[in-house]
Amino acid sequence: MSATAWAWLVLAFPLAGTLVIGLGWRVLPGRVPGWLASSMILAAFACAIAATVKMQDRAPAARHASSTLFDYAHSAGLNIGLSIYVDPLSLFMALVVSGVSFLIHVYSVSYMTSDKGFTRYFAYLNFFVFSMLLLVLAGNIIILIVGWAFVGAASYLLISFWYRRETATAAGIKAFVMNVIGDVALVIAAFLLWKNAGHHVSYTGIFAGSKTHFSHDQGTLIAACLLLTVGAFAKSAQLPLHTWLPDAMEGPTPVSALIHAATMVTAGVYLIARFHPLYEQAPTAANITAGVAAATLFFAATCALAVTDLKRIIAYSTMSQIGYMMVGVSTGGYDGGLFHLMTHAFFKALLFMGAGSVIGAMAGIQDIDRMGGFRKSMRFTYITFVVGALTLAGMMPFAGWFSKDEILGFDVHRGGFDLILAIVGFAGALLTAFYSFRMVFRVFHGDSVPEAQSLERGELFHGEHVNPMTGEHEDTGVGFPGAEHHIAERELPMKFAMGTLAVLSVVGGVVAIPGVTDWLRNFLDPTFADSKFVNAAPSTGADWTGLIVGAGIALAGITTAFVCYIRRPGTTAEIIKRLPFLHRLFVNRWYFDELYDALFVRPTATFGRFGRYVVESAFVQGTLVGGATRIVGAGTALARTAQSGYLRGYAVLMLIGFGGLALYFLLQAT
Amino acid sequence: MNITWYLVLSAFLFTIGAVGVLTRRNPLVILLCLELMLNAGNLALIAFSRMWGNGDGQIFALVVMVVAACEVVVGLGIIVGIFRRRIPEDVDALSELRG
Amino acid sequence: MTVYLSIILFLPTIFGALALFAPRRLALWTLVAGTVLTLAYSIVMLARFKTGVGMQFITDDNWISELGIRYSLGVDGLNLFLIVLTSLLWVPATVAAALRDWDRPRLFAFFMGIAQTAVLGAFMSQDLALFVVFFDLMLVPFYFLVGMWGGEDRVYATTKLVIYTLVGSLLMLAAAVALGVMSTPAGGHISFSFATLAQHPLSGGSQYWLFILFAFAFLVKAPAFPLHGWMPDAYRQAPLPVILVFSAVVSKVGVYGFLRIVLPLLPQASVHFQELMLAIAVVSILYGSVLAFSQDEARLVLGYSSIAQLGFILLGIFSLDPKGGQGAVLQMVNHGLVVAPLFLIIGYLAIRAQGRESLDWMGGMAFRAPVLATVFLIVALATLAMPGSANFVGELYILFGTFQSKIVYGLVASVGVVLAAVYMIRFYQRAMHNPVGAHVESRDLALGPELGVIAPLVLVILALGVYPNFLLHRINAFAPTTKNIPQVALKR
Repeated sequence: MSATAWAWLVLAFPLAGTLVIGLGWRVLPGRVPGWLASSMILAAFACAIAATVKMQDRAPAARHASSTLFDYAHSAGLNIGLSIYVDPLSLFMALVVSGVSFLIHVYSVSYMTSDKGFTRYFAYLNFFVFSMLLLVLAGNIIILIVGWAFVGAASYLLISFWYRRETATAAGIKAFVMNVIGDVALVIAAFLLWKNAGHHVSYTGIFAGSKTHFSHDQGTLIAACLLLTVGAFAKSAQLPLHTWLPDAMEGPTPVSALIHAATMVTAGVYLIARFHPLYEQAPTAANITAGVAAATLFFAATCALAVTDLKRIIAYSTMSQIGYMMVGVSTGGYDGGLFHLMTHAFFKALLFMGAGSVIGAMAGIQDIDRMGGFRKSMRFTYITFVVGALTLAGMMPFAGWFSKDEILGFDVHRGGFDLILAIVGFAGALLTAFYSFRMVFRVFHGDSVPEAQSLERGELFHGEHVNPMTGEHEDTGVGFPGAEHHIAERELPMKFAMGTLAVLSVVGGVVAIPGVTDWLRNFLDPTFADSKFVNAAPSTGADWTGLIVGAGIALAGITTAFVCYIRRPGTTAEIIKRLPFLHRLFVNRWYFDELYDALFVRPTATFGRFGRYVVESAFVQGTLVGGATRIVGAGTALARTAQSGYLRGYAVLMLIGFGGLALYFLLQAT
Repeated sequence: MNITWYLVLSAFLFTIGAVGVLTRRNPLVILLCLELMLNAGNLALIAFSRMWGNGDGQIFALVVMVVAACEVVVGLGIIVGIFRRRIPEDVDALSELRG
Repeated sequence: MTVYLSIILFLPTIFGALALFAPRRLALWTLVAGTVLTLAYSIVMLARFKTGVGMQFITDDNWISELGIRYSLGVDGLNLFLIVLTSLLWVPATVAAALRDWDRPRLFAFFMGIAQTAVLGAFMSQDLALFVVFFDLMLVPFYFLVGMWGGEDRVYATTKLVIYTLVGSLLMLAAAVALGVMSTPAGGHISFSFATLAQHPLSGGSQYWLFILFAFAFLVKAPAFPLHGWMPDAYRQAPLPVILVFSAVVSKVGVYGFLRIVLPLLPQASVHFQELMLAIAVVSILYGSVLAFSQDEARLVLGYSSIAQLGFILLGIFSLDPKGGQGAVLQMVNHGLVVAPLFLIIGYLAIRAQGRESLDWMGGMAFRAPVLATVFLIVALATLAMPGSANFVGELYILFGTFQSKIVYGLVASVGVVLAAVYMIRFYQRAMHNPVGAHVESRDLALGPELGVIAPLVLVILALGVYPNFLLHRINAFAPTTKNIPQVALKR
């Protein structure tokens, strides 16, 4: 079987899973849907490996293939095929997505076991994986947009999975609308590319056409690239389209791990890597993208310092880390950006799983102010969480250390504008190390809270279910979290998933140790062979210098956190007292939500009311309808006066009519 | 032969009939006046027919007579109905068609 | 020459007339049999349709020869799917009607049958006068259907509907007669056939005022802002099966008229008024969308959303670009396919909310009704033109066409795509999600009478989402007609 045939199978398995689970919801018993879904993803992963092996058999220059199933839309000059494009980049993404998804599926089987929506959950989850794989394997920009929107829909469904919570549905619609903004931007970008790059929608066609039809840094090209960036930023929660991601934490925790950390939100990084030939032709657009991404990585890190909701801290951390990847891929450091995408998938999924464990032990409470001392009662979670935090902080020798510093080292090497980005990145790294261990120290260290104490006594804590946002009590029927939702790290599937990810976080860096193993770079090279940055990577010595600096910064951040929270608790309170303005700014996420509310939401709602009560009633009903009614009324009143009801009235009219006619004909005749 | 006198007579008859229809209130008299108008028309038709030496006009006049007979039947029927229901014999009272 | 189209055309009326003599209980089922038969004939027609041949299944007979009016029917890529759509959607509408009790069911069935014939006739006509006849005939059954079986304020609503559409119809009648007379060559015979009329284009000046008359009639029917005054009342008062076909099919006759009559016969005027029509389209999109999410009445959400959707169709038509035109045709079919199940769903929701159709009375319906929630979700996502649905392909073509010709209008219209997401998701959430409403009885779809009616439509939506080229490929057959437009513009 060819690589493309395997790739089609990669798509087929999750789709089949969705359909079987979706249609069989009434008959599939117990945990069967969960295991069925997991096995489908495992099969997809296996097929992705098979496709990769097939592809590696070819000569490096020939490692790309496309395949079209049928014409999706073919008329009036547009020719869109339902096609896939397989090359090292899409295979890399497919491997990461299906691999991490499999682990999260397995984790979910335990985590969601008591939820009344168990089957629905796995149907959605399989649909998500199908969509994500469609996105990364798509062979042209229209199919990409289809996958792009499908993941958005899956994300919406899973954010508002507990749909009887009003907070969850509000978060869902917010995420959906923000994502649609991205979709629209992509459609417009697709048009600009189609029109100006020789009427192609396939990647190969667009890239070939762009070289001949676009001159360097042309206005249209910049516009197209910036629209792609808007799409990427909406999906990847970068400034200024980021406000949906923290709210998206309303979804079940494994969903946050899968969609809102490991896979979907990194789709923007994939998009920019995929369209790198265009960005390289439009350095202005690439620089804007990188600049905004750098701003995001710093902004999100500051929010993560101040927010006290455990899942939201990790969410802001995700935004920040995606900022690194964006900086990487838009400045030409594709290997670094994608490498960080992979390691981030590992450690961020791991952190979310750990957070899920803790939140379960807290019976749904997510506020780290109320947590503490879980170190003893949840040893396994503690260890894996620390591994995740060390990797996030970029500590030596964990995977994040290699990947983050590869991006920053590349940008230092390029110098100029990129050097500024790198400096922002290093500053962000310091904050990252600090907030990672802020989580660790505040959740796991310190005095044990009552929940931790009862776990230490061996009681599995069953609290009443409360909505973490509003504190309202909830029942455990459909549409709310199930009864024994998160009793943590209790079952083998969860431990298996967390353990595997922890191991991957530790050893994941091995695929790209500068000067020792350049496996990832060699693997991805065929995709980026045409890049002008292909030989721009820094020397091995410079790489190692960067790595050592990075490790030093991580160590500094961790030490600071240690001092602030363990050695001298209360330091942070003092800082807050000194800088109340800064703290308020960070806690309120720099007031973006309020700004959007004032700029978009309220004006639109006001306009809607204005339309409903003023335009409709005064103008359309009053002037148009009323005016028409009055004209008709006046006309009929006139006609009514002729209808006297007296016979002779009619007779007179008739006589006048006939007389008039006769006169007319007489006059005509003469 | 001069046709003018016939036409003048016909016009006189027609006008008398029309004025009668317009001014009288008794349905029976209105019906009679209508007959007068029809016969004025008949007179003109026959006069024209005679002038051209052509039978078409006479056939027309016959048709008109048939129509007039039908009309009288219907009209008288209505008038009888009005009498039976003791509605005043005044066409101005029958003005339900007022818009 | 074939009588094939005439069979499809008059089957509904024949069965409607049969229903007049059927037993009370079976009256509507008689019509259902008729609509199913019509659908079967339409599907066979679809199967026998040859792509790229032009006009097919032609019937062309003298009707009123003195006036040059011919009984001329035909099918090409433009109206093929509109005919199939009409045949398809009348089935669930009549079945839904047959499943409940009506006063005077025989008469109801009769008028529904006539209405279908009138709509089919308007789509099939290849003669302007015949088109006008069917266009006006449509009004008659709907006048009775809304006026006799409507809600409390039905008389007011009907009067408004009739006056609006009648004014439009009269203007169009005048325009049609004028068009026929004025384009008769000196000494030639008068003809209303589209093909003949297209060969003798009028001079610029007369095209302009004829355009305005036609546009008025068609925009009222659509409806487009600001001629939608009849819409809120009619949507609120009409019986559900009636408003279903009205919104899904009848509203398309207007925009269809632009493609069949205005663009080919009045090309210069179409170019001249292009920006005005695009502006109307864009305003309709934005205005309809914004109002759709400030409504609490479920039917009005759909009503205003239809204004927005038809704005998109209008946008595609007056992009005067082949892509826009084909997208518009595709979107007409798509919109019909999603609006019909949405109205059925409103009916199902109302049953579960003590008969009320206001969103204020709903909430949490998904609680014990997963199938209903899934069906609603699929239809809602298709309505907001999520990529992967045929509606997306339609909007993609429309936007591509508009970007190509007048990019500014396209960009403003793109905002409407985002707003569509807002009002559809809001509609879905307020009905299905959030805490269960106090008056809601969450109950899943009954297998036969509820799911059975809606499931085929949902399957069609899904199938077209996977393979929209099934439509586009056949619609492509009419591309030559729209292709002429830019060339005519150049000639000017």
